[in-house]
Amino acid sequence: MASVSDRLAASGLPPPLWRRLQAAAIPGRSTGEAGSTDGGGLRQEPPPPTPPADRSFARWSFTGTAPRSLVAVCAVIGLLFAAPLLYLIWRNLTGDEDLVNLYLSEATLVPLRNTLALAMATALSTAIVGTGLAWLTTRSDLPLRRLWAALAPLPLVFPSFVGGLALLAAVAPGGLLDVPLGWVGAEATRPEGFWGAWLVLTLFTTPYVLLPVAARLVALPPSLEESARLLGRRPWGAFRTVVLPQISGAIAAGSLLVFLYTVSDFGVVVLLRYETLTRAIYTNRLLDRDQSAALSLLLAVVALAVVAGERTLARRRHRGTLEGVRTERPLRVPLGRWRLPALAAVIAWVGLALGGPLASLGLWAWRGLTGETSSLASGDRTLGDLVEPALNTAGIGLVTALVAIAVLLPLAYLSARHRARAADLANGLVATGFALPALVVALSLVFWSRQLPEAWGLYQSFAMLVFAYVVHLGAQSLRTAQVAVGSVPRRLDESARVLGAGRVRRFATVELPLMLPGLAAGAGLVLLSTMKELPITLLTRPLGFETLATGIWEDAEAVFLAEAGLASLVLVALSGVLTWLVVVRRTERLA
Amino acid sequence: MASLPVMARRRSVAGAVLTVAVVAAGPALAACSSGGDDRLVVYSGRTSNLIDPLLNDFADQSGISITVRYGESADLALLIDEEGDRTPADVFISQSPGAVGYLDAAGRLAPLDDELIAVVPEGDAADNAGWVGLSGRVRTLVYNSELVDEADLPDSVLDLTAAEYAGQVALAPTNGSFQDFVTVLRDQLGDEEAAAWLDGMAAGDPPTFDNNTAIVEAVGRGEVPMGLVNHYYAFRAKAENPDLPVENHYFPDGDLGSTLLVTAASEIAETDMPDEASELIEFLLSPEAQRYFSEETFEYPLADGAEVNSVLPPFEEISKTRVDLEELGGGLEATTAMIDESGLT
Repeated sequence: MASVSDRLAASGLPPPLWRRLQAAAIPGRSTGEAGSTDGGGLRQEPPPPTPPADRSFARWSFTGTAPRSLVAVCAVIGLLFAAPLLYLIWRNLTGDEDLVNLYLSEATLVPLRNTLALAMATALSTAIVGTGLAWLTTRSDLPLRRLWAALAPLPLVFPSFVGGLALLAAVAPGGLLDVPLGWVGAEATRPEGFWGAWLVLTLFTTPYVLLPVAARLVALPPSLEESARLLGRRPWGAFRTVVLPQISGAIAAGSLLVFLYTVSDFGVVVLLRYETLTRAIYTNRLLDRDQSAALSLLLAVVALAVVAGERTLARRRHRGTLEGVRTERPLRVPLGRWRLPALAAVIAWVGLALGGPLASLGLWAWRGLTGETSSLASGDRTLGDLVEPALNTAGIGLVTALVAIAVLLPLAYLSARHRARAADLANGLVATGFALPALVVALSLVFWSRQLPEAWGLYQSFAMLVFAYVVHLGAQSLRTAQVAVGSVPRRLDESARVLGAGRVRRFATVELPLMLPGLAAGAGLVLLSTMKELPITLLTRPLGFETLATGIWEDAEAVFLAEAGLASLVLVALSGVLTWLVVVRRTERLA
Repeated sequence: MASLPVMARRRSVAGAVLTVAVVAAGPALAACSSGGDDRLVVYSGRTSNLIDPLLNDFADQSGISITVRYGESADLALLIDEEGDRTPADVFISQSPGAVGYLDAAGRLAPLDDELIAVVPEGDAADNAGWVGLSGRVRTLVYNSELVDEADLPDSVLDLTAAEYAGQVALAPTNGSFQDFVTVLRDQLGDEEAAAWLDGMAAGDPPTFDNNTAIVEAVGRGEVPMGLVNHYYAFRAKAENPDLPVENHYFPDGDLGSTLLVTAASEIAETDMPDEASELIEFLLSPEAQRYFSEETFEYPLADGAEVNSVLPPFEEISKTRVDLEELGGGLEATTAMIDESGLT
């Protein structure tokens, strides 16, 4: 007869939770008693033994000390991501800016304070809204769940330079929202300063939290929540004590991304006139290059500090991570009387974040198509002109997403499986690439490619463009990859090894399918950001390579709003389709 | 016992198609971007919809194939500087005087032929022949014709600090063309008077925007009655939407409010095709190209003898003050510092 502990081991629940269940089911048991089995006591399972020191490639899946080859690979990857930081250090060392005076002056401290305030506020608001949306679309019985799941991540596809303008045109006085607000007796005011920037950034960056949390919720087995409900917890209590600890890693990953993105954002803060570090960097980029470089270095240091702080907190977080194994049909929590308010809230959110900018863009495009004087109406520019840029955009986005996942998987293994300290440094370097303004990343790669022989032909090649994208945008997939790697149950891998599967076969048949929802969520983020990326594209793309984003920018600059609107709609549609194919479909049952 | 998920054996058809497309697109795209050695490389801060037809015409007529990198003038200047002696750029067209001035000061530009410089009036080309002006945009006051009567508008930009205009005039303090305008004020009136004007404008707590497009968009919606922009934007906005109630008010009699800002072309010092570069710049100063600037993009053609579009005020009425930034102490840096101090940003 199988012992209680064997049955618990076979149930799929992690060891830390066995004790709690036993305390409820078996009164009077004593802990720590070794040897006895059934009924009278409980043998505390010893942790699985660490395998003998085996430095081969086969060791890459086990916890314990990281194999040297993995650390070496991660060191090389970390060095590649450090390119912008090393460039900034070099520039500041060879420049003649008085760093100490600059950093202590008001010209630095005020933007720094503003940057941190905005970033923290946005991270907090997106954590709350993103988690709520993720839960509503995956765990509740909200009507049209799948539609909201497909639409909610889409605000991420708006390039900030046009999304902000379009949203303002919709909500500012005289815009589209003027009439409906007039019915209610309210006045449309122009979002501005801190509150305006916070609102617009929250609307556009909530998907950073939504996607990983939704992926994690989908992979979470419902058995634990069901047990908690059976043992008497109310729904909110069950969520707080059971689900929240399990998704806290994903929430932290998403919030960190939002923080770093807000720190690096330029388009929204300039449009809404809020003085942040990035704005100071951009305003001075030509007039005082040394000051720009000094402020960029400060930004990189801030990013490193924040990532280090987050990792310290993460280590202290409870680590009873549940396995990511889909079992029975997913849990659906009935919303009851909250159904309509929840639906109204979701509609309002998606309407504002997605519908507002789309309405403006649609209006501009429609005017262009039906008006008489625009180049669209006259046939000088047609929809067919957008085909090549659209293919380029999709192609380079998909390639970048795949390369980013491939490059970051070793780092994810190092930090999630082996918990090596070296991984923290690599994580920080990857984060600086994301936090720095795109212009700085582009210039740093131009600088480094100058140090390489010209004969290699790397400058302004596709390889350099994809590399630049990965350095700047790769951080978005790292944290979700770590969460995905960490959620693969060790015992499945050990079972496969015992049964004789080789390393590659284990990876392909055991680990990869389980990690796929998380990896896909991360890849989706990289894909979306690459498709709308602008500054790096403009400066480092191979000559003649046009994307939808570069076309939109040129049209918006010269006030060809109809063409900009049409191309933006095509970009949103393309991004939506690819997001659905690559990300949303994978978060559902893989059968 | 927890069950393993069912393996996803079938890949989605769309996914397979996409993968094939991506794999096929890579080499195809790589092939089309090769061969930049025999092509004239232009870095242009002027977007393609405002210059592409001209460049295509040049390529057809001269047989020289051109490839262009479009971007923001300031970012392209930084790129050229960072690329240094490895820059593939041959010609730099800048929409902003600050960017080309930066490269000139950094010694990245080759002096142009005297004949090219002679085509434009003195003052519309660099003194050291580093760059030459192609076309110009004039500063103007754009206003909403439904909210404001043109008769109520002042004849001088300096009068905008009056109480009746307080808070009514939208500005873009971080925008390059506003900074250039303030630099002209400093040059012509002196630092003190320029600072006084800025303080006067700031005292009215004016609505501020990021760039000219945002101002014209807001004026069109009626959010603000008027704003200081370049003349080009009202024309484009009305082409987009003929019902838009925006009009330009040009400050008459050569007032400083109608300063001319120049689009400049220059030859990169590191170019390996200097003759072709000169040929392109010569083409851009030819009557055909200047007519394009005048009729298609509603700008002021700078070459001698070119006709100004009839919808624009003639040259005599606008201030053609050009400022030598190096002579004016502190250049653009001092201007931005002054704007910051006034509290407008």
